[in-house]
Amino acid sequence: MLDEHPEEPGRPGGDERHEDPEEPVLEDAGGAPALRLAPPLRPRAPKASRRSLRPRRHLGLRARVTTAFALGALVLSGALASITYFSVRNSVVNQQEVSLRQEALGSAVLLSGRLQHPVPDYDQLLASVDPAGGSQSFLYKQNDWFLSSPTLLPDVLPRALRAAVFDGRPAEQIIDLGGTPHLVVGVPVKSAKSEYFEVFDLGNISRTLHVLLVSLILAAVVTTLGGAVLGSWGASRALRPLHEAAQAALAIAGGRLDTRLESEDYADLAVLTSAFNRMADRLQERIEREVRFTSDVNHELRSPLTTLAASLSVLEGRRDELPERSQRALDLLGAEVRRFRRLVDDLLEISRLDAGLGEVSRDEVALGSLVQHSVEATGIHVLVDIDEEDASRRLVIDKVRFERIVANLLENARHYAGGATRVAVSVAGAVARFSVEDRGPGIPAAERDRIFDRFSRGSSAKRRGAGEGTGLGLAIVSEHARALGGKVWVEQNGGRGARFVVELPIRTAEHEDSPA
Amino acid sequence: MLIPPCEKIGAMASRILLVEDDERIRTSMRLSLEDEGYEVEEAESGEDALEAHARALVAQPFDLLVVDIMLPGMDGFDCCRELRKVSTVPIIMVTARTDTHDVVAGLEAGADDYVTKPFEPKELAARIRALLRRARTTDGGPVSLTFGDLEIMPEAGVVKRDGEEVHLTRTEFLLLCELAANTGKVLSREQLLERVWSYDYFGDGRLVDVHVRRLRTKVERDPSDPRHVLTVRGLGYKLAP
Repeated sequence: MLDEHPEEPGRPGGDERHEDPEEPVLEDAGGAPALRLAPPLRPRAPKASRRSLRPRRHLGLRARVTTAFALGALVLSGALASITYFSVRNSVVNQQEVSLRQEALGSAVLLSGRLQHPVPDYDQLLASVDPAGGSQSFLYKQNDWFLSSPTLLPDVLPRALRAAVFDGRPAEQIIDLGGTPHLVVGVPVKSAKSEYFEVFDLGNISRTLHVLLVSLILAAVVTTLGGAVLGSWGASRALRPLHEAAQAALAIAGGRLDTRLESEDYADLAVLTSAFNRMADRLQERIEREVRFTSDVNHELRSPLTTLAASLSVLEGRRDELPERSQRALDLLGAEVRRFRRLVDDLLEISRLDAGLGEVSRDEVALGSLVQHSVEATGIHVLVDIDEEDASRRLVIDKVRFERIVANLLENARHYAGGATRVAVSVAGAVARFSVEDRGPGIPAAERDRIFDRFSRGSSAKRRGAGEGTGLGLAIVSEHARALGGKVWVEQNGGRGARFVVELPIRTAEHEDSPA
Repeated sequence: MLIPPCEKIGAMASRILLVEDDERIRTSMRLSLEDEGYEVEEAESGEDALEAHARALVAQPFDLLVVDIMLPGMDGFDCCRELRKVSTVPIIMVTARTDTHDVVAGLEAGADDYVTKPFEPKELAARIRALLRRARTTDGGPVSLTFGDLEIMPEAGVVKRDGEEVHLTRTEFLLLCELAANTGKVLSREQLLERVWSYDYFGDGRLVDVHVRRLRTKVERDPSDPRHVLTVRGLGYKLAP
């Protein structure tokens, strides 16, 4: 992949080799699960977990497959039904017509024989040639109409048909009488100079065809539904490995770096499974290596720093003995060593949090006293707003972590916003809120997530305090807040400035085990 | 042969044995401790430390030891344990991180307190001062307090169980005295940290927890079923009257 654009090294996004060692690979502060680096101590998860999480993209695919199946079933069954219906109708109707025509012809032949002899009663004659019923016969002889039954009148016979028969041509036509189709057959009886008509009721056929039509439609509908069901089932079966892969990916993103896909069930997807597992292996390796590296480096920094701090203290104790230039050099040295020490402390804190090595202690304290001591420990003077009832509230919390949160927020305000103007504490139900306000440049909405990243400084930080902060303060606050089961965010402080708010769940002694 | 911890500060400089294998750290620490007015002797390893300590016992015993846990050969924990077999001298462990394992292991091996690298020399000095300060005068308090099979003589610095002397480290003794001075009353970890270790609000509660455990192994008939030093859930500890 990296060889695709050899001539364009500067192409944005083209060469992905540049890595920022401080940024874990999949971190996303925007609300999607950020990469939590869990230590590889958890038992290896053999299958991706089957939580019923359904990403939207996934559902759309299934619906599409189901719809496709349903449509396919509809089209096929519709076509089949139509073909069946029309061909049955044609053949049945044709057959019927042929047989009825034969019948009419037969009746006409019979009549022509009878008409050679004098006929006393034409009506009776007609009635006698009418074989089964379900039809009515008409005879036109010498301008007289004779009917086999009084039900239908001669004017039901279509004019065109009559004209054709009078001309000496047999004809037939289907007419509609009272909503039911009827077949009219007309046969000239030349030998008797008469015309014979027979009208057959096609109602039965029609009704049968109607029933057939309804059944076929019903069958088409059922088939369509069946198709939809089949499609849905088939889709979920086929998509299940994707679902599992999605769950596995989510688990990894959530910190369970051990998660892998089992390949037995889906031989077809062996490529996906093995590629996924390989990717997860590499990712895990990389992250663990980074964590180890950071931890080792930090560890190695402790010893020289100890020596530096001790030696510095000795020199500073003898500052008066030094000439002025040496004193100035010593002051610079002292300031930088202390800053370096703070940076290493912060890095160590962060790397411990990353590796999940830090414990969360359970100290039972009063909220007011905790906040008071935490603020005092920073040496920063700021007003603390808390009402008496909330202050006397007892809770179980890791007081050192809380102090780190307070210290980092106050330091942050001091470095970048001219100092905190107000600290407020309040309790609402099962959460406690701790907020630090300032009247500094504030944080633009677009940056409010990013500033909690490591080594990120807001655009308005610029030169002010650039030499003071370590760039990790807010990241530390965020990690500690998370470790305590809470969260932190920043909002606008009225007209100008920022308000950092930490929200922590209140756990009480009843829910916690006591120490020792 | 057990030697009680030296309580005299100011009369003569307190002697500290510094056990650290990294030469530069050792040297710089020695310099800064000497600036604080202590007399410092160095040891490079756990074995050297034991040797130096044994030698000093017959001449001028050490008032306090600072022991790094990461030592070549015998590690700091073992060194501490060996020392505790023959002495109740105050020991401060120097750990590499504040994770439970190292700190608790160090405390259980017999340390009285700990600092974490990298530390400001002032922090270490404060810890040393806290450990070396004179025992509180009892100001006319009782010479001896008895709780069942336990007898405590604060001024004399002696504790007996069933008539036999129990050898407590300075810190264990102070802890017991503090609980005894408030018999029946519950003392929180914060309070104990402040009174016994001179820590502020953010002291490490584990110091108290492990020392209570150690105390129980020495003064209780059955440490797993304590009669004297009791835990009060969610609040702290107290000494049963």
